[in-house]
Amino acid sequence: MSELFIESPLAHRELARDLSIDLREIKDRGMIDMRGLTSDKKFMAAAKKVLGVDLPKTPRTSSSWGDVKCLWLSIDQWLVLCAKSKVEELIRTLRTELAGVHSLVVDVSDMRAVMRLEGESVREVLLKGSSLDLLSDDYKPGTVRRMRFAEIAALLHIVEDNVFDIYVFRSYADYTWEFLLVTARESSKVRLFGDQRS
Amino acid sequence: MSNKPYRLSRGGTHIDRTKKVQFSFDGKSLTGFAGDTLASAVMANGQKLFGRSFKYHRPRGLVGLGSEEMNALIGVGEGVRHEPNLRATQVEVFDGLHAVSQNRWPSLAFDIGAINSKFARFLPGGFYYKTFMWPQSFWKHIYEPIIRKAAGLGRAADGRDPDSYEHVHLHCDVMVIGGGLAGLTAAKAAAALGAKVVLADENPTLGGIGDLTAGSIDGACVIDHARAIGAELLAAENVHVMTRSTVVGHFHHNYLMIFERVGDHDPALLADGAPRHRLWKVRAKQVILATGAIERPIAFANNDRPGIMLASAASAMVERYGVAPGVNGIVFTNNDNAYLTALSLKKAGINVRVVDSRSRSDGTLVERAKSEGIEVSMGSVISAVEGNLGVTAVKIAAYRKGQGRVITERKVACDFVAMSGGFNPALHIWCHNAGKIKFDDALQSFRPDRHADGMIAVGAANGNMDVSGTIAEAVAAGETAAKAVLPKAKFSKFKAPDVKEPTRAPLESLWFAPATGNYNEGNKHFIDFQNDVTAADLELAQREGYESVEHTKRYTTFGMATDQGKTSNLNGLGVLAEATGKSIPEIGVTTFRPPYTPFSFGSIAGVMTNKLFLPIRRTSVYQWHVDKGATFEPIGQWRRTYTYTAAGEDKQGSITREILAVRHKVGLLDASTLGKIEIKGPDAAEFLDRMYTNMFSTLKVGKCRYGLMMNELGFLTDDGVTVRLADDHFLMHTTSGGADRIAAWLEEWLQTEWTHYKVFVTPVTEQWAQFAIAGPRARNVLAKLDPDFDISHEAFPHMSFKEGKLGGYPVRVYRISFSGEQSYEVATPSNMGRGLWNAIIEAGTELGIEAYGTEALHVLRAEKGFIVIGDETDGTTTPIDVGMDGLVSKKKTDFIGKRSLEQSYLKGPNRKQLVGLLTEEPTDVLPDGAYAVRVVKDKPPMEMIGQVTSSYHSPTLERSIAMALIENGRERMGETLSFPLEGGKVMRAKIVDPVFYDKEGARQNV
Repeated sequence: MSELFIESPLAHRELARDLSIDLREIKDRGMIDMRGLTSDKKFMAAAKKVLGVDLPKTPRTSSSWGDVKCLWLSIDQWLVLCAKSKVEELIRTLRTELAGVHSLVVDVSDMRAVMRLEGESVREVLLKGSSLDLLSDDYKPGTVRRMRFAEIAALLHIVEDNVFDIYVFRSYADYTWEFLLVTARESSKVRLFGDQRS
Repeated sequence: MSNKPYRLSRGGTHIDRTKKVQFSFDGKSLTGFAGDTLASAVMANGQKLFGRSFKYHRPRGLVGLGSEEMNALIGVGEGVRHEPNLRATQVEVFDGLHAVSQNRWPSLAFDIGAINSKFARFLPGGFYYKTFMWPQSFWKHIYEPIIRKAAGLGRAADGRDPDSYEHVHLHCDVMVIGGGLAGLTAAKAAAALGAKVVLADENPTLGGIGDLTAGSIDGACVIDHARAIGAELLAAENVHVMTRSTVVGHFHHNYLMIFERVGDHDPALLADGAPRHRLWKVRAKQVILATGAIERPIAFANNDRPGIMLASAASAMVERYGVAPGVNGIVFTNNDNAYLTALSLKKAGINVRVVDSRSRSDGTLVERAKSEGIEVSMGSVISAVEGNLGVTAVKIAAYRKGQGRVITERKVACDFVAMSGGFNPALHIWCHNAGKIKFDDALQSFRPDRHADGMIAVGAANGNMDVSGTIAEAVAAGETAAKAVLPKAKFSKFKAPDVKEPTRAPLESLWFAPATGNYNEGNKHFIDFQNDVTAADLELAQREGYESVEHTKRYTTFGMATDQGKTSNLNGLGVLAEATGKSIPEIGVTTFRPPYTPFSFGSIAGVMTNKLFLPIRRTSVYQWHVDKGATFEPIGQWRRTYTYTAAGEDKQGSITREILAVRHKVGLLDASTLGKIEIKGPDAAEFLDRMYTNMFSTLKVGKCRYGLMMNELGFLTDDGVTVRLADDHFLMHTTSGGADRIAAWLEEWLQTEWTHYKVFVTPVTEQWAQFAIAGPRARNVLAKLDPDFDISHEAFPHMSFKEGKLGGYPVRVYRISFSGEQSYEVATPSNMGRGLWNAIIEAGTELGIEAYGTEALHVLRAEKGFIVIGDETDGTTTPIDVGMDGLVSKKKTDFIGKRSLEQSYLKGPNRKQLVGLLTEEPTDVLPDGAYAVRVVKDKPPMEMIGQVTSSYHSPTLERSIAMALIENGRERMGETLSFPLEGGKVMRAKIVDPVFYDKEGARQNV
């Protein structure tokens, strides 16, 4: 059999240029959607045993252990991130450990496109498509937030200060990329607060 | 009109005399200085005429100081960059600026439309309502086109706008609207307590009218004091200052919209790609309104002649731009403040005299004017203006408060008039979201009262017209606003600065200055300059019974122009008050609505144009579709291939080719858009039993079942195939358009009604690329992709499911059919979708595989009588109506919609039922939605008994086929119905079984 042809959602887009931020697609992210009840001790224990870290219970937060990250999506749903090569094994282990426990573990690695935005004006760029108060202290590294971005649903994960990942459903990848290319243009850069004497 | 240059040899704080700019106005090349507005630069060139009025085409000049300007509306820019109706007072000149006047033909000085003015007596208030009511048909074809041509403002640009626009969201603790002394002081106070402050001002520079304000603060003049605060704010970490930014609207919960003009003043910025405008969407916790006040014109005869302007505008011309409004002027006032204008003019060497309607004033400024030798006529008004394109003389009449006619008057030569009828606090934004206002007798104007949102008005916007009071009030407001957000902040100890300012005598309202002769005989007292509404129009409306001010506004159009009555509102109320004998508060005010000033459609659209106009969803095979000549069809936000048209083919040809390929060889369809939802838990089977009309708890693992879903009303809402992956684990397929809706629907029932169910629902639509391989050779394609995959009919029968690999790709294969042929739906993770698609095409080429689109899909399913939710159903259709009684469980105790199906009206006779239709003439294709009627008549109305729901030409059957919902359809089998169409044609069709092809379903079962 010939080699498999695998194409990330934004494989057809050229590298972004002349932007006020660095923008690229993250192509190799494994994603697992986990459902379970935080009140179910067996569920929480099994999850921790496999993932190495507790699933976060606090809304809009994340937890991580090594290269595994758990993003809070709702009171009974998490997005577990890992290397794509590890997804199959992780899912198998999770399902084994969760046998008989009310839960749902699904591979959703291909369901979303992931974009990495990096640079000093990341927050300002995102404010052109999001009504969140991204300049407030609430939006610190580790924060996870579902949001309306431009005119679609997106997931925001603050990786480090000035390093943001946004997740959108795969079919909207092209639209989101286009939106970022337009709003992140160096020539339309916005500076908010701070010293404005030029 | 004199062409004598009016630039003074000295002065002009806003202009840089070392930088000349060259611009054009109505094709004439003119020179100005950097810092000039279009208004000042044109005036400096001796031109007073800026445009023609809306209705009467009267010559009009500059009146205002800033955004309140209502006459000098100018078109700026050429070709696709042309923008009409900009206020000349706000347009900054630059090299190459191209400006044109509006609403004049053929030229400004000679305008044919001005003939309207001669017939003015035939154009009274409410003219349009009175004249164009009859006959009704004339409105659309005769009156409206003529009115639209004759009236109006500038023209829109030709072609697409080349510039870019964008939106930005911003949150803050305190939003300060206005960057004058009050706003700056308040912002500083709020910021000092630690609040995050945004300050926006519509002018290019901060300071407001500090430069036109008398007095000093701690020894510095007002403007220097204000600018120093501005500099502090610019440097502050917690303050964001915006200039050229107009707050255009205030909405619930202190949500504000700011229109920023980023690049209008500098073509170099636009050339670099900067957005032309930005629309800011600000969510503030507290708002401080520091918008200042707008000067009122005075209603006197012919008060609209070019050369008659507001006193504040005349001052600004001299002080800011070094431009003389004329050589010999008159200041006409009812208050002390305008004396400052007189002093400014005098100082600039311009001959000036004051006409004051009050009998006396002992204010400092009045005394100073007199002592400087300015001639002051107290107890006087202007009763007439001579000149047409400009002022040549006025008549000054003796006046006592309330006097209605002129007794004595004398003529005085002059070339301009600076008028001041007092000041109105600019409280528009206070009122956008229902802030209450009250009438202030001293101001003779409305001022802010209560507001339900966190909003505080300060300074002139709050009716506080003196410097010391403004500073105290602004500091208190800034700190109060900050403290509301930051409860721990501490108020500072306010130490009042040393303010020196003139004492002022009270103003005296002057709503109408009596005129020479009868003012209805050509002596128009304009109230609303922009819409050409006079005092007489308002009085007439009142006499005609328009008691409500809102009705008067609509009848006369007073306050309805682009300036939204900034200068006219109160004067109009004053006229109405005098005409009715009521007080102004009794008359009431009209509603203030956003926007404060007009702003561009471009800014409203932001980046949501062209490619970003709508979000478009693409499957993993999108580019292949494009490359193969696909025509796309929108399904929700998805773009699905309608048909793939090859060179030399038309759409009907390609659709036929695609259908026949599926029927005789094999076809491939991108069905990735189908909704896919994983459902798991101990109660999953019971949950599905409740959601669907038919039974799912009996479904065996590895098997598929088609399900129907109703809402509580018993009406069909979705359908699709569900697979049992494990005992407690299902995968539901929904329609493409229903994916999100059904996932939400399932969650809603779980979260609100059946909270005891242990079921998780996770939508996974986009994880999978899914393709249908359909046709008699479908199995051969799979066999070629992987010989080891057991696809024999026995091992993999219709309505079953298998996991495995095809062509090396991990797949879930469902043996299900929407075409009636042997058919497999193959799903693979989306990132491998394109790879698998290519592999299938490659494997299928020698078998004659053809990709097919949604139209072929629809014809294929219609040939089989399969319904489509939304075609055969319309939200009032039950499973019984479409003949699917068999799928409505009789055994299950309950499921959504069960009870409704028992309702008499859903069980009763005369329901519309799904039937097939065959037209008498096989080549006739019934139009979608065509009505069947009981009896054909010559013309409507005819009683309709049903409608066509789907209709196609079937290449398989070589004739047309259709489905329809017909009253008692199933009892009418064999009956021929009539379908009257547009143009008198009647198609006739026989009612038949809706399954047209392969009735026993043999083809999918081999």
